[in-house]
This record gives sequence, C-alpha cells and structure tokens, in this order.
Amino acid sequence: MTGTEIAILWAAAIATLGVYSILYRENPVSRLLEHIFVGLAAGYLLVTTWTQNLQAKWWAPMVDSGRWYWVFAPVIGLLFYFIYSRRLAWLARLAMGIYFGQAAGVYFREFFPLYSPQIWASFKPLRPIFDAAAPPVSVSLAWWSVVIQNWLFVAVLLTVMSYFIFSVPHEGKAGRALGKSALMGRWFLMIAFGAMFGNTVMARISLFIGRVQFLLQDWLGHYVHWLAQRGM
Amino acid sequence: MRWLGPQQATTPLVQHILLALLASGALLYLLHRFLGPRGRRALIVVVTFLFGLFFGLEYFLPVRTKTLWPTGLPNTGGSAGNLLTPGIEPMSNILAVIGAFTVGLGVYSLVQVHGRNVLRRRPGWHNSLAFFISFLAMFGFGLWQYSLHLPEPLPPTLTPLQAFANNGYEFLFRGLYAPLQAATFSLLAFYIASAAYRAFRIRTTDAGLMMAAAFVVMLGQVPIGAWLTRGLPNEGVIALLRLENLGDWVMRWLNSPAQRGIALGVAIGALAMSLRVWLSLERGTFFAEQK
Amino acid sequence: MADLSANSARPEIGASAPGFWSRLQQIPRYYIYLLLAMVVIWQILFPIFLPITPSATTRGLEEAIRTVPEGKLVLISADWDSSTQAETGPQTAAVIEACLRHHKPFVLMTLAPPMGAKLAHNIASEIAKRYHARYGVDWANWGYKYGTSNVLMAMVKDVPKMVGSDFYGQPVKSLPIMKGVRTVKDIGLVVEVTGLAGMTEMWIGLIQGPQGVPFSAAYTAVMAPGYYPYLDSGQIEGMLVGAKGAAEMEVLIARPGRGMAIMSAQSWAHVLIMLFIIVGNLGYLLARGRERRG
Repeated sequence: MTGTEIAILWAAAIATLGVYSILYRENPVSRLLEHIFVGLAAGYLLVTTWTQNLQAKWWAPMVDSGRWYWVFAPVIGLLFYFIYSRRLAWLARLAMGIYFGQAAGVYFREFFPLYSPQIWASFKPLRPIFDAAAPPVSVSLAWWSVVIQNWLFVAVLLTVMSYFIFSVPHEGKAGRALGKSALMGRWFLMIAFGAMFGNTVMARISLFIGRVQFLLQDWLGHYVHWLAQRGM
Repeated sequence: MRWLGPQQATTPLVQHILLALLASGALLYLLHRFLGPRGRRALIVVVTFLFGLFFGLEYFLPVRTKTLWPTGLPNTGGSAGNLLTPGIEPMSNILAVIGAFTVGLGVYSLVQVHGRNVLRRRPGWHNSLAFFISFLAMFGFGLWQYSLHLPEPLPPTLTPLQAFANNGYEFLFRGLYAPLQAATFSLLAFYIASAAYRAFRIRTTDAGLMMAAAFVVMLGQVPIGAWLTRGLPNEGVIALLRLENLGDWVMRWLNSPAQRGIALGVAIGALAMSLRVWLSLERGTFFAEQK
Repeated sequence: MADLSANSARPEIGASAPGFWSRLQQIPRYYIYLLLAMVVIWQILFPIFLPITPSATTRGLEEAIRTVPEGKLVLISADWDSSTQAETGPQTAAVIEACLRHHKPFVLMTLAPPMGAKLAHNIASEIAKRYHARYGVDWANWGYKYGTSNVLMAMVKDVPKMVGSDFYGQPVKSLPIMKGVRTVKDIGLVVEVTGLAGMTEMWIGLIQGPQGVPFSAAYTAVMAPGYYPYLDSGQIEGMLVGAKGAAEMEVLIARPGRGMAIMSAQSWAHVLIMLFIIVGNLGYLLARGRERRG
C-alpha cells in the first residue's frame, strides 16, 4: 500500500471513530467532524455539477460550438437567487413556476404507466382456473394459492383502502360495516408496518456492520493479517 | 475545454453573448418595472401552465396517425411522434442545465451562516472555519484532479503536481467524505437498538400485530431464521411455516396489498395536488403574491 | 439537538421503589450500544456461517440479467452514496459480477446523489480487473447526470446526446460499447441500485412503462417493502433486498463477497434486537404488575 492509501485508511478510521464518540455524549471532535463533512459535501456537489454536467452540456456547446443562445440558461437559472431579495423575489417564483409546471406535467405522464398496471394486477383470479394442457402439480396447492392467497390479497387491498375513507362516518348500518372494514384495514396496515420495521432494523444494522467490517478488516486488518481474513 | 482569451474577446460569439445578456437584463428590468403584482402573478401562472401543458400534452397527443402527424420527425430516433415530441429531448436537456445552476442556493446559504460565525467570532467559529477549509479543499482538489483527465489505471509517470492533485482528491473523498457519511448514518443502528429496548411497548392489539410481523420478517430475512426451521419440509403447504418462506409470504401477500392500498391513495392525492399546482390554485409560501 | 447524555432516561414506572425489572428498564443506553457492538464484532471475528438460500426476488433479477438479449446493454443506475454503502455497495458489486459472469456489457450512471458515480466506479474498476473487462468496451461509466426526470425524458430518443461525456470527460460516442446505442430501447435491462425513494417511480413511469424497457432493482431494506406491489404487477422483474439480497446474488453467481460476510453478524444482531424487545416488554409488564400489587 502506498503512503497515500495508508493515510486514507487512517483518516477514514479516525473519522469513523470520531463520529462514534457522539454515542457517549456530544463533544468537540464530533462537532468538528460534522462541519468538515458538510463542507466536503458542498464542495463535492459543486465539483460534480460542473464536471459531470455544466461543462459538457452548457460550456462546451456555448464556447466550443459557438451556440451563444446557451447563455440564456444561466440567466434563467440565476433567477432562482432572487429569492434572497424581497423586491425581486417574484423573479425567483417565475423560475420556480417553470419547474412546478414541468413537475406537474411529468407527473401526468408518469401516472398511467405507473399505476394502471397496479390496478390491473389487483384483479386477481378468485377461483382456480385449471388448464387441461397444463394441470397443476397439486389441486390443494392450486386452491391454496388462489382461494387463500388471492382472496386474502384482494381483502387486504380493499380493507386498507377503506381505512382511508375518512369522509363517511362509521354510523348506521353501512357506516358500521365500513368501520369494521376499516378496523381490519388498520390491522393489515399494522402488519405491513411491522414488516417495514423488520426491514428497517435489517437496514440500520447493516450500515453498522459495514463500518465494523471496515475498521476490523480494512484498517486493523492491514496490520493484522488474521483480521483481514475474517468472514471471507 | 476552451477558455476565452483576449483575442477572442471581440469575436462574434462573445458579442452575441454580451448582447444576449444585455437584452435579458433589459427584459427583466422592463418586466419588473412595468408589471404590477397582478401582471407578475399572471405571468407566473401562464409560465407554469405552459410548461406543464407541454410535458403533459406530448404524452397524451396521439402518435402513429400518419394522416395527422408526420413520421421521421427530428429528435424522435426515427420513430413516430406528435408535433411536440421533437421538443421533449432538447427541452429536458435545457431544463437539466438550468436546474444545475441552482446548486449554488444551498451552498450560498451555508456560506452565509458559517461566514457570519467566523466574522463575528461566535462560539464554535472554529468549526465554521473548518467548514470553509474543507469546502475549498474539496472544490479545489476536485476541479484540479478532473482537469488533469488522468487515465485509469494511473500511469507511473505522473508529475509530482499531478500526483499531489490526485492524492489530495482521493484523500478528501475516500479518507474523509465517504467514511464520515457512512459513520453518521450507521449511528442509526444504535438508536434503533435503544428504541427497541426502551420505547417499543406492546400495549394494544395493533402493536402486537406489528411486532409479530416484525419478528417474522426479521427472522425470515436472515440465515438463522432458515436454520431454526430447517427441519420442516421444503415442499407443500407446510413449507410455508419455514421462516424464510413465511417472511417472504408476509411481504408478498400481506405487505404488498397494504402498500398498494397506500400507494394508490397517495397517487390520487398527488394527482390532485399536481393539478392544483399546474393550474396555480395552490396557496403557500412559494405561491403567494408579492406584498 | 437530542440530549444524548447518560442520565436523560425518564423512568416511566416504579420510580419510587424500583424493583429489578424497573431498574432493568432504566439502564443507561451505553450498555445497549455496547451489547450491539459486541455481538457484531464477535460475529465479524468468529462468524458462524449458516446456509443462505436465494429468494425468488433475487432469482428474478439474476434471470433478468442472464436473459438480456445479445447486443444490448445493462444500465446500472447507481443512485446511492456512502450513507447506504454497506447495503448498496455489495448490491452493486453483485450485479456487476452477474453482468460480467453472463458476458453482458454494462454501463453505470448516477441520477442522484453525485457521490454514487465515483463509488460505483471504484467498485466496477476493482471487479473489472478480475474479469479482464476493458473500460469502454465491456463496461463504461456515464457519470453523474443532473436532472433526474429530465435526464430520463431526454434519453428516450437520443441516449448519446443526453449522456454527452462519460465519467472521465471523454465524449461517450467515442466508446466502442456505445456502438449501436441510439435510443433507450437499445438498453436491454435497467437495474436501479438505490437508497432513495422516488427514483423507481420515475424509471417506471418514464422508461419501463411507456418504452417497455425491462426494469429491475436493488433497494436498501428500508425501502424494499414499498416496492413489492411493483414486483407483483410485473413492472419490476426482480429485486435485491438489502445486504441479504446481495448475499443471495453472491450465492447464485458463486462469488462470495461482502454481502455474505455481513449475514452472520446480521443474524445475531436481529436476535439481539428481538431479545431487547422481549426483555423490554417483559420488564414493563412485570414492573407494572408489581406496581399494581404494591
């Protein structure tokens, strides 16, 4: 490993341990590292915006290819900065209007390709349809997969959607039926949230395991070969 | 990348650019001077509507109707389109470029806040100084390293300056930026562990259902869950009781329809909101008239 | 800022005459942190490997890569940064390995955040060396493209124009891998690796749905549950879920990596979290019962 690589390794390890010091209590080291992180992030954002976008898509066409009309791009883009001026803030809203309108238009484009297949897929077969050419492996499995699972799918979907109907009071015959459906929907939502919680635990723990792997296998493993071999 | 030198300062390109800037400035001045609050709002409403209309309409207008719309339009990759289709690609490119200029908004805000801390020597001003040092270092080394266009793998014949630029950039990125971010987000593991012990109380049926599902999914997602139920058969309905299968079943047959129900509701709400924004019916900080 | 000091716990019950269970619920959070750290370190140092069985969602993604038509690219959209690197890093590595194993040329791209372009590039460079894959021929990196939905709309009809230059700043049209790539339909599969919500909706709404380009994804575990409906409707052809998905893909392509290495620690950490919940609730119930009796 070169001297730079070792310096990178040590800097990364010190940065990681410095951030973890906040678990004990807030301290000057972690605060300093937070500010350094924000500075690096801001600097990197500017660098990538120029090198990966503006330089090839704006500067090169304007200066190298002579397309002078690209100068209007920064004129419109810089209108956003008038948000800091009370008198001229309307110019920033004019520029924002472009993007609000565009976002709305793009959402109209996205809506049907995104959600119509969702709706089609919700119409699941509620009775098994046996194809003579390709009989099911097991009739009981076919019944299970269709009658139990498909019915359950549709029931969960409808009860969950009924939970979000807040404009109909849960009174009277119909209202009470809706109320029962909404209660079932709430239970199914709780199951879904439980599944989300389980996945969230997995995600968060993974992040920590990744850092421990770095500290033990990459940093300390550089000096203790046995550590570098762990888990691989 | 070509920079403009003194000889080029009077070329037609520079003249055109300067004229365009002057014209833009004049137009903005005239708009600001002669448009009252109602006129300004009307202009914003029209601009919002037109841009939304363009992108929406291009999707909904029919294509492949040879009698009505021509084929072989430019910017369509040779495929059929409607009259608006050739405009989508250049318009998207232009809007992406314009949007890139807004990155300075956040940076300006940060510079303002931290600049005040440093200039007025507020408590913790040295942290703000560290912000500026790291910001300028990353900006400087990033641009410098990029401008060298170093090939990969790095040739052994790098000059000391080239090596310094590359090493400095790599140190800032891989040594500080990436690990700081990774470590900060990995703190969440500790917080979720602490919350699991101190805050999650099963007091109601709802909470019980949630925890039961969470337990099934947590065990089903990891090898130890499969190991615990390894004795169960791998085929038939009983196979569903294997934790990895049960976890997958919960995700597909309980979680999936519930998420779809939420998503469809959110979709309709977002559609209504998009309509309101497109028609400028929305009120709020960014939509308010200038007072 | 949240008070993280040791004595910030507010005892809910049993404060006047705390029994064992009440005291157990008021232990400083350091012990919880320490236990978690110890379990993870223990498993990193002395892993107990248990078999990993690839799930149907992971098999779907592997099949989607394997069946990419000849002459078409796999586009890996690396929309992640180091905040999710422990999951999305191994996922990206596993997808790249699968592409190279099945001899499918691939390109990287990042819509957001900017860091993804370099992080994914580092991973791809490392793996490409092992397979002797050449940059520009077997793989390429289009770099970070600002504009999300604008980028996707622009690439529908003219991919090289939208991309412009690659990660190194060279014109993308000069790369041999881009020969024959004109519109988005020349892409055989899009694999989005991300920890950001909202990206998939744009890909499906603007590319997969209207243009019929096959789409698969690799998500962090947090966001994966929200995308099962798309799997059900067939809009997503296969999915990796968190580090577990990366581990399963490594099993499928017979290439152990960081994903598999994480899973042993993951298993025991999950058991610990469950123990925390059980002990916490048990303590709560018993302490409440004691208080009622007392």
